[in-house]
Amino acid sequence: MVRLITHNLLACHVKGCTSNNFPLEFKDVQVELRDAEFNSDFLRGFIPKIEWKALVDAARQVGNTSLPLELPEMLDDDFLKSLHHVLLEIHVEEGSMTCPNCHHVYPISNGIPNMLLAEHEIG
Amino acid sequence: MTVQYLFFFAQAHHEFRIPELLSLSKMFGFDLNLPENPEDQDPTRPFLIVGLQCEEHARLLASRSILIKSVYEYYGHGSTYEELHLSNRNNRNKWARYIPDTSFKFIVTAYNHKIPQLRQRDIVESFSYMGFLGKIDMKNPDIVLACFEECKSYIDRHGTTREKHEGDGLFKQVYFGRQVAMGSARSLITMFDVKKRSYYGNTSMEAEISLLMANQTLASPGKVIYDPFMGTGSMAYPTAYFGAQIFGSDIDGRQMRGKGDTPGIIRAATQYGVATRIVDLCTFDITQNPWRCGDLFDAIITDPPYGVRAGAKRLGRKRELSPAKMAAYLEHRASPRPDDQPYIPPTKPYELSRLAVDLVLLSRYLLKPGGRLVFFLPTVTDEYEEVDIYSMLCPGMEVIANSLQDFGSWGRRLVTIQKTVRVTYLPPVVEAQDRPEDQHVPAHKDFREKYFRGFKSKN
Ligand SMILES: C[S@@+](CC[C@H](N)C(=O)[O-])C[C@H]1O[C@@H](n2cnc3c(N)ncnc32)[C@H](O)[C@@H]1O
Ligand SMILES: [Zn+2]
Repeated sequence: MVRLITHNLLACHVKGCTSNNFPLEFKDVQVELRDAEFNSDFLRGFIPKIEWKALVDAARQVGNTSLPLELPEMLDDDFLKSLHHVLLEIHVEEGSMTCPNCHHVYPISNGIPNMLLAEHEIG
Repeated sequence: MTVQYLFFFAQAHHEFRIPELLSLSKMFGFDLNLPENPEDQDPTRPFLIVGLQCEEHARLLASRSILIKSVYEYYGHGSTYEELHLSNRNNRNKWARYIPDTSFKFIVTAYNHKIPQLRQRDIVESFSYMGFLGKIDMKNPDIVLACFEECKSYIDRHGTTREKHEGDGLFKQVYFGRQVAMGSARSLITMFDVKKRSYYGNTSMEAEISLLMANQTLASPGKVIYDPFMGTGSMAYPTAYFGAQIFGSDIDGRQMRGKGDTPGIIRAATQYGVATRIVDLCTFDITQNPWRCGDLFDAIITDPPYGVRAGAKRLGRKRELSPAKMAAYLEHRASPRPDDQPYIPPTKPYELSRLAVDLVLLSRYLLKPGGRLVFFLPTVTDEYEEVDIYSMLCPGMEVIANSLQDFGSWGRRLVTIQKTVRVTYLPPVVEAQDRPEDQHVPAHKDFREKYFRGFKSKN
């Protein structure tokens, strides 16, 4: 954990930070790979939610280049296997995520990101 | 055509029984017909006759329901043995195929009462008109025929059904049928026992209730389910065990971590073999959340903080800070820390009825169409009115179940709300200030204060 599926769903939520606040940039990450169960229905259902470019970039930041730059129209098994691996099997255990807009740093320790805001950052 | 099945239930959480059956039939995707007469649906009684398309559906229910003890194909019932035999004879077409060559075993019991051997034998004898030619086999019978006497019962002040002993042979109803399945999911209550879990805390939810909640979410493989007040993760384990993928978050990361490097929730999930289904755990205040978009989850399952053991709170503070303190907090931004370090942002109390309204709004945004919000709401028994539940709804969200767990002067209601629309909503804005009280004031408002006052009125 933080898996890339989660990274693809988290945006900076500091008060007033509403544009260019996604994707958060990984810094100083420690990555672990762990097997997860493959479920093609789950993947197919989730694909419409993915911000594709953000996922491809995040995968590259952690050293995985298996995804095509564009989401393919044909979702064959090989593609779903790579997608499964990228979304669910890459865990960022330590490091941080920085907002590209306001530069708030969200630290990650033992796989749990701290997304709490300081009090001047809340709405 | 539907076939009638006789369900025998555990005498616990009776208000959860029908909602659980309806949820499971929906999850498995088959029809279930409840008795038309409301008296025959009475959940305080141990038996219920249900119409299903086939035996396989009865088996599926018995494999997942927490409250089903056993299921029988229904052959007959009555308030006397004469009535029972009459209805059993009328249902001859249901059992005639077992006459020629089927080994069988006969069970005669009464709930919470032991029928003397002699009378048991007489009862078995009284079925001899069925003319079964197969041999009696007590060890490995092809079929088990069961006859149950339902004693008169009453509900005690804890909401538990108790049997009244008025003497042998005095019963309310007697039922007869062929055993189809034993409820196998009840053993999960022991498996998920909090005391045997490698990580738990004082907010952990007991296993049986967590399992009942998980069934209300329709948890199954491929579903994505979220607990926004994750705490020690009690509901995540059974939900994941049923195959769903789980996201959890909490304002206090220490609740999810416990002591040690591997988060407590991951340790407990590993014990149950479901660690890979805990997708992620995040620390944040649900009223200031980082979700990039909505329409994400098939269900939200949660036990919101109601301020007795785990105070409801949100980021912010009641009064403004002095400049010096403000500077100290600004420093947090320059050097952010993990959530297990001493710095915890200030929080202010979060009143329960507001939290409930916010939770429904947020769920409408985060749930997929048709998705369910399953959560507990504590209520003050004497003051509760049904409108309390409806006062927290918003368009597009409908209550589909509301079951009370009664503790006397207070109780908690397991509420299941469904998103009934396909509309994609904007993220709700949680107002920083308390709303003026112009609307209906539900009895769960200021629950914490009422709890500590012992539910007596202020004066
Ligand atoms: C009743 S406990 C939930 C317990 C959990 N079901 C378990 O098994 O331990 C409520 C949780 O909500 C958290 N909480 C309180 N206010 C919150 C908020 N505004 N946002 C997120 N979590 C909050 C508390 O830290 C606490 O862990
Ligand atoms: Zn930002």
